[in-house]
Amino acid sequence: MTAKISLRNVSKQFTVRPGKKSGGTATTLTAIDSLNLDVRDGEFLTLVGPSGSGKTTLLDLLAGLSTPTSGEVLVDGQPVTGPGKDRAVVFQQYALFPWRTASANVSIGLEGKGPDGRKLSRRERAAKASEYLKLVGLACFEDRFPHELSGGMKQRVAIARSLAYEPDVLLMDEPFAALDAQTREQLQEELLRIWRATGKTIVFITHGINEAVYLGQRVAVLSARPGRLKAIVEVEIPDRDGAEDIRSTPAFVEQRHKVWTLLHDEVRLAQDAGHRKILPDGSAPDEPATHQTPERSAA
Amino acid sequence: MSATLTKTARPAGGETAALETAVGEVTSAEKPATAALASVTGAVADAAKGAAFRAGSWLWKATGILAFLALWEFGPLYLAAPSTRVFLPPLHEVLLAWGKLFEAGSIQGHLAASLSRSVAGFGIAVVAGVSLGLLIAWYGRLNSVLNPLLELFRNTAALALLPVFTLLLGIGEESKVTIVAYAAFFPVLLNTIAGVKTVDPLLVRAAKSLGLNSFRLFQKVILPSAVPTIFTGIRMAGTASILVLIAAEMVGAKAGLGYLIVNAQSSFLIPDMYAGILTVSLLGLGVNFLLVALERHFSRWRTAVGA
Repeated sequence: MTAKISLRNVSKQFTVRPGKKSGGTATTLTAIDSLNLDVRDGEFLTLVGPSGSGKTTLLDLLAGLSTPTSGEVLVDGQPVTGPGKDRAVVFQQYALFPWRTASANVSIGLEGKGPDGRKLSRRERAAKASEYLKLVGLACFEDRFPHELSGGMKQRVAIARSLAYEPDVLLMDEPFAALDAQTREQLQEELLRIWRATGKTIVFITHGINEAVYLGQRVAVLSARPGRLKAIVEVEIPDRDGAEDIRSTPAFVEQRHKVWTLLHDEVRLAQDAGHRKILPDGSAPDEPATHQTPERSAA
Repeated sequence: MSATLTKTARPAGGETAALETAVGEVTSAEKPATAALASVTGAVADAAKGAAFRAGSWLWKATGILAFLALWEFGPLYLAAPSTRVFLPPLHEVLLAWGKLFEAGSIQGHLAASLSRSVAGFGIAVVAGVSLGLLIAWYGRLNSVLNPLLELFRNTAALALLPVFTLLLGIGEESKVTIVAYAAFFPVLLNTIAGVKTVDPLLVRAAKSLGLNSFRLFQKVILPSAVPTIFTGIRMAGTASILVLIAAEMVGAKAGLGYLIVNAQSSFLIPDMYAGILTVSLLGLGVNFLLVALERHFSRWRTAVGA
């Protein structure tokens, strides 16, 4: 089977600006270290790893929001040079534009020229937005502003926005982590339904082992920082599409335990080292060089 | 039972229909009727309290104004010494003077002169402030060069520069429009910069991941998210422009509300002076009301954050 996404020996280091207390020397933080990973076309891959293992960094590389220090990120055999319409990102905090209605949020990706060089009219965009809002179960919510929607509904809009410009790859960064348990379960099911209906390649980051095993065809386990690929678990659960609660089948429990065991040591390692989330500017609060709260520059 | 009743009855506010249905439910219920009845009477009291509260709050608001107007009307007659009474004419005299000035068309003339100056100055300030603010916020280096200078200018009281503008531009319209523009420029500029700088970085990331280029990013994400902050600046600028204009007109002008006030004072037409002051207050209120409405319109999407 062909690889949709390939990571070849990818490393990502951040130069951390020196804090005043550490004496003024810049240090480097290795978030990801020589990582190799292939994602098959149309596959649902979930990615788990302890805090600070570079999951989000990896997703940024795939999205083209940052470039690797060494190694290659290939999509369809072509190196990633920046964000592109073939990939879409769904963020944990929804990242909806609050001044736009649900419909306008969904259609923002359609406002430029399409792949055929044609610009969609306002009506065509609205129609497409309605179509995708319907797909995520939000028909009739076109004119609502984000502040009028619940967390689960916001994330549905965000998913619709990502799907609307028809990317091949959906990159999801802990998209359901901020939702309550019931909404999360519901959205997990819907996501599987959408995945089956659209055949997208999905890379899904999570810190929930249950979620990883439930959603993924394969679960990639990252090591504690610096992030390396520790193992890939093929999730084999018979009768996945059945109506019964697969989370309580022996096969699910077995797979879950497998991932848990793999992850457990890494989580303890990360905890002992006091690893924390890597901030967008590449520093991590637990690293010695960053006693200062790093300045975050907007724009 | 009682809990659900209070729940249904409470949002009814002053409407009796909802209360009647609630009472109907009480009679159909047998045993907990007394408890429920107690809660219904509580709800009635609550509803009455709510209506009374609303009426009361309006009354309270009006009370302040009414008391002030009454003091203005009767204070000079009964409280002030005869020597100060001349300088504090009662309200009806001021209103009569205002009516005369209105009939003669002079108040409209002065108002038009003041309005045209402040609108011109304010317009220049908004256009210059917003565009320069966007530039400064977008190019970080420009910000570090200009910021100390802007701090210096901003902290120089606009009126302190009036003599300079008068020397350079004469006592005509130019100097007044310029000083209004100067005073209104800084709130707009600083709020524009702040608005652009406080854009949620997550939204910028999301926009980038959607493949928006720099220009589109600016147009579709940064600008709209800065609009409410920019409008706060514009509202402050509106207040500042009237404030400074009146003062400028008092110093050297042949028309305008500031001139009317100062001229009436020196001609000992005290009721006319108060008529001018009253017009200035109403103008300020009007401008603020208009700008608040505009601000609200442009930040609709932000309104329900606290709700």
